[in-house]
Amino acid sequence: MIQPVNNIKHSINFCAEPERKEQNSKKYNHDTLLGNNPLTNMRIGMDKVTNAFTLYPAKGLKGSKNANFYEFLTMGTVPYLIGSATLMALFNYANKYYSPFDKVQASKVGQKMALGVLFYGIAKSLSKKLISVPVNMLTGVDTDRPYAKVIYELPDNVNDTDITSIEYHKVFESVEFPRWDLLYGDQSKGEKRNFRYDKIAKKLNMGENLNDSDQETKPRIKEIIVKSNLAKNISCYFWAASGVALAFQKPWEDYFKVMTFKFWKPEEFGKSLKAFGKSFIDSAKALYKGEGKGISKHAGKILLGSSLLVSALGVINTVAGVKKQPKSNSDIIKKDEKHVVS
Amino acid sequence: MTSNLIQNYITTKPTSAMNRQPIKKQEAPKKPMPDFDIQKELDNRTFIKPLTGKGRLINGNIFNAPLLFAQDIVYDAKALKHAVSGKANDHELGKLNDLGLLLGGLGIAGYLFTKKQTPVTKGMEFIGLASFLGAMAIWPKIAIQLPAYLIHGVNVQKQYEDSFGRRKPFYQDPQFLPWDLYTDKEIDKMGDRMGVPKNIPNRREFIQEKMKKIAVQNNTLWMLTAGFATPIMSGLICNLTEPYLSKYFDKKNNKSADKIINNINEYSKKYEYTSVEKELEKILGNNLNKKLTPELEEQITSVISKYINPITAKNIEKDLKEKVFGEPVYKIQDDSIKEVIGNLNTVFKKRIPGADEEFLKTVIPDENSIINALKNSELYDKDLSKTQFSSIRQVILDLVSKNVIEYNKTHPDKSKDLKLARTLVMSNMTKNKDSNPVNIILQKVKSNVLNKDAVEKLKNVVKILDSFNAQKFTLDEYALKKVGAAPETVIANYWNDVASDLVKILGFTDKEIARTRIDRTLMSDLLREKLDNIAADKSSYEKVISKLVNKISEINNKINTQDMSVEILNGNSKQSTYDNTVDKIFNDTADKLRKAGFENTAKAIAGADANDSLGTLKNIQKMYVKDRLLGVKSSFYRIINTLDLYRRIATGANNIPYLNGRYIEVQEELIELCKNITLKGHSSDYAIKFYMLRNANPDRTVGSIKIENGKVVYQYFGKATQTVDIPSDSNFYKDAMKIMYSGEMHPDTIAALKEYSIKPEVINYRNKMLEIMGKEQYFAKPFHMLGDQTLNTPSNIKFLTTGIAPDELLFKSCQPIYNSKKWIKIFGGFGAALLGVTILAQFLFGKMKTPETTGKKK
Repeated sequence: MIQPVNNIKHSINFCAEPERKEQNSKKYNHDTLLGNNPLTNMRIGMDKVTNAFTLYPAKGLKGSKNANFYEFLTMGTVPYLIGSATLMALFNYANKYYSPFDKVQASKVGQKMALGVLFYGIAKSLSKKLISVPVNMLTGVDTDRPYAKVIYELPDNVNDTDITSIEYHKVFESVEFPRWDLLYGDQSKGEKRNFRYDKIAKKLNMGENLNDSDQETKPRIKEIIVKSNLAKNISCYFWAASGVALAFQKPWEDYFKVMTFKFWKPEEFGKSLKAFGKSFIDSAKALYKGEGKGISKHAGKILLGSSLLVSALGVINTVAGVKKQPKSNSDIIKKDEKHVVS
Repeated sequence: MTSNLIQNYITTKPTSAMNRQPIKKQEAPKKPMPDFDIQKELDNRTFIKPLTGKGRLINGNIFNAPLLFAQDIVYDAKALKHAVSGKANDHELGKLNDLGLLLGGLGIAGYLFTKKQTPVTKGMEFIGLASFLGAMAIWPKIAIQLPAYLIHGVNVQKQYEDSFGRRKPFYQDPQFLPWDLYTDKEIDKMGDRMGVPKNIPNRREFIQEKMKKIAVQNNTLWMLTAGFATPIMSGLICNLTEPYLSKYFDKKNNKSADKIINNINEYSKKYEYTSVEKELEKILGNNLNKKLTPELEEQITSVISKYINPITAKNIEKDLKEKVFGEPVYKIQDDSIKEVIGNLNTVFKKRIPGADEEFLKTVIPDENSIINALKNSELYDKDLSKTQFSSIRQVILDLVSKNVIEYNKTHPDKSKDLKLARTLVMSNMTKNKDSNPVNIILQKVKSNVLNKDAVEKLKNVVKILDSFNAQKFTLDEYALKKVGAAPETVIANYWNDVASDLVKILGFTDKEIARTRIDRTLMSDLLREKLDNIAADKSSYEKVISKLVNKISEINNKINTQDMSVEILNGNSKQSTYDNTVDKIFNDTADKLRKAGFENTAKAIAGADANDSLGTLKNIQKMYVKDRLLGVKSSFYRIINTLDLYRRIATGANNIPYLNGRYIEVQEELIELCKNITLKGHSSDYAIKFYMLRNANPDRTVGSIKIENGKVVYQYFGKATQTVDIPSDSNFYKDAMKIMYSGEMHPDTIAALKEYSIKPEVINYRNKMLEIMGKEQYFAKPFHMLGDQTLNTPSNIKFLTTGIAPDELLFKSCQPIYNSKKWIKIFGGFGAALLGVTILAQFLFGKMKTPETTGKKK
């Protein structure tokens, strides 16, 4: 019988010196389904960002034999964040060397550009919720459900006893290899084995108390993953563009006049926050109303409308197909009833 | 490795089905093929075979790049189709992220495009997007792939196509590398390139490990550097591209402007607003033969004047009143008399103390009495002019007066003030002259109608004005494209181009630019020094003046003097095409309007006759172009003249006739004044006839001034302890003006100007400065004048002819140059350092302990 390798549970020591038994301090000893909540997501995000800037580059630059695709992908955060900061610097850093008039003019554009970079990132990230939340509500499929994956690496040297590492993935990040196994209930804890699939089946109008809800729902879940991923991948960039457009509105200039990040000066910081809120609302209105005539007047409306439309179509495309009752004979048979095949 | 899920599941978690039903021991079924041995079959490979792999390495190069690009597009389109139907795979979904990135980028560029006003700024939004995406793709090629290949002989960005036709980076996942796609020969070749000994055990595995290590290290380096490199590269690409884009749009803009002036009638069709004609026709159709109320008149006037400037519109209004709407005619009838009675009731009740119902009934005449009285006076139901309103009032007044007198007789205790009643009938209630209780009703009984004749007149006029507007807007467009006071017009581009080239031509170093951009005074001193140095040396002068003349003369290529010219500079020769076109359009329109009876409008557009050029729309149309051209040309011709003056002083100060015979100190003062005024004088300096602090008691030595190595060495100037302006020395002023602007230019300057069309304009510029500024009278220095007659030139012409002072022009030019250089220095420097570090780091990559050799060469 092949057993899973687990050096924590079974106290397996890979060290060449058998007497050394250092306990592994990793949080997980097997692949573990995690809750999709802000706290967990923040913790995962912090972990990934920290590793992306420290551990993974160190491993990568050494050419570690354990470097893998996950680490490479996670390191994608590095150019994303550094690139954002560099873009901000590109439009602002040199301004201090300019003559006072030029400085004022350059800063007006530079500050909007920096705000645009910030809004791009925020809008891109948050807008994915516009797909995942309604899809979850309507189908029961949580496309963002995270899990911790335990990786067993090759020891770097004879004294390397800590050969595990934790990666954070999403259950449905691969449409070809979703982690179905993690969605089964733990019967030892009194959970029904298929309770998650049952819930999805019910939401998808496939019936209740199905004998094999997991097998019935899997093809539909795959379809949901593909379609929702498409919707997220496209709509998030539309919203990101809307974020940039919002940042380029004139009312922000009022905020820039009182902008401060000195939170230790509560009065000034409070004013700055208040001005931010006001400028945000005024800018949103300005983006919607537009100015000038023709396409210039309506460009903001078009951009916002397109973003909303793409998100709405994305959700509709994801949900509509999978909630439809199938037409084929095999699917017309009610799954929750007993049938005799002659 | 992760746990084997299936095994784990089977051993630890029985299925629900198994839980529900007791496990029955079943008999083993009989084997259908008792002699079948799966191992044997597999060994013989007669039973099952893996499919032959179809994966291949992709050898990308510039020749197959378009094909690969096209294949990518097809693949993306298919991926989108699959994803929409929910059938895409991971690889396809990954590609769609790139599609989203591109769409989002286009969204940003598209939105910002609409916010920008000029072609270059609009175009730069898309170039910004393209450069960013380009930089994302180029950086790993030039900073990672190429150096790694040159240093190690390994292409770390190699791509392969898997058996399903999916194109992927070879080293994407270091844990799953499809090494089988490389032949032994290829691996060996790369091993040789990396210096791997030939006689080591498992050489291929070692080479693969080394390649993998290099790839992992390079991929990491890519991730660490791309964040800095992509935006910086994108910024630098934009910086490099903008001048080319600007030149492209400048040429395009200029060509399109040239097409306009040669096809004005054709081009003006796009401005023919038939909407005005239609709108007017609708109004006229609805109101034909109806009363011409003030509201209708206002409506018609406003439609006709829709695209007309306010001054001309006033004249149109006047003409409409006089020639179309006609003198107002009023007709009083039953209804209006009832209203007059009602009004009188209200006013009397309000204004006459103690006016009760009885009083009102007695005093205010009834309808029949008024009608009869008006009939007797022949005022009832007749066309009346406004001047006859007083007669109507008089009739009513007579009736009221008679009634009041009667009332006072019968009611002595309640007698009322007759004078007050008369006043109320005759005079106005407020300052508004039409607020009289009778007049206010009479106003409404205007009986003019919009007859067929008026309609025809209106239709004719609106056609003339429509056509005129269309042609005028076309002229405006042409003028704007060429000389408009806006960014990216031909003249604005020319100005920026010359201004920035001047800094190069005069040899400003980066340090000098950095220093002088802060303070104009610093620029003045430095420029003075530079001009002195240039003027002192023949070869450097010839070099600079020829470059300067060559650059400045581009104006006449961009804006041909035959198309647009300014008389002050081209010597009142033939009118330009633009001026002729303006004359023709405006004069023709005026003629047509005169024929239609619109004399006032015709006069406002083109003057009393074709030669009238004062205060007309035609004159404004021409003057805008002339003013813009004069300001720009004078500013640059002034630089030529300034440099010429410096050269004349450097090479022959003692031959300048206006210096001869004076004390040396005064000669030096004159030279100093001329050099300063040409370099930094404003039109106000000319207006006050130059304020200069001089030595009131100069040294009386007469002789030649000292010139060493082409530079004037002051022997006396600047040494006096007490200096004052001397307003009585008008000759000093006159001579200064003559030194600066009269006489022949230096032969070197003439030689440089010889080939260029700007030569006569430069000479005219000098003459006009002498004439316009010299013949101006200043009350505080009345004798500081050239000639006897005062020439009162408008102040805008004096200002524009003087042009910008060279030191001010360069001071302003240095600021954007400095900003641009500083930006490039910071980010270009950072980018270059980053590239250097990225390349150098790769020399440290791929270090591995080589296994001991076997002694045998493979």
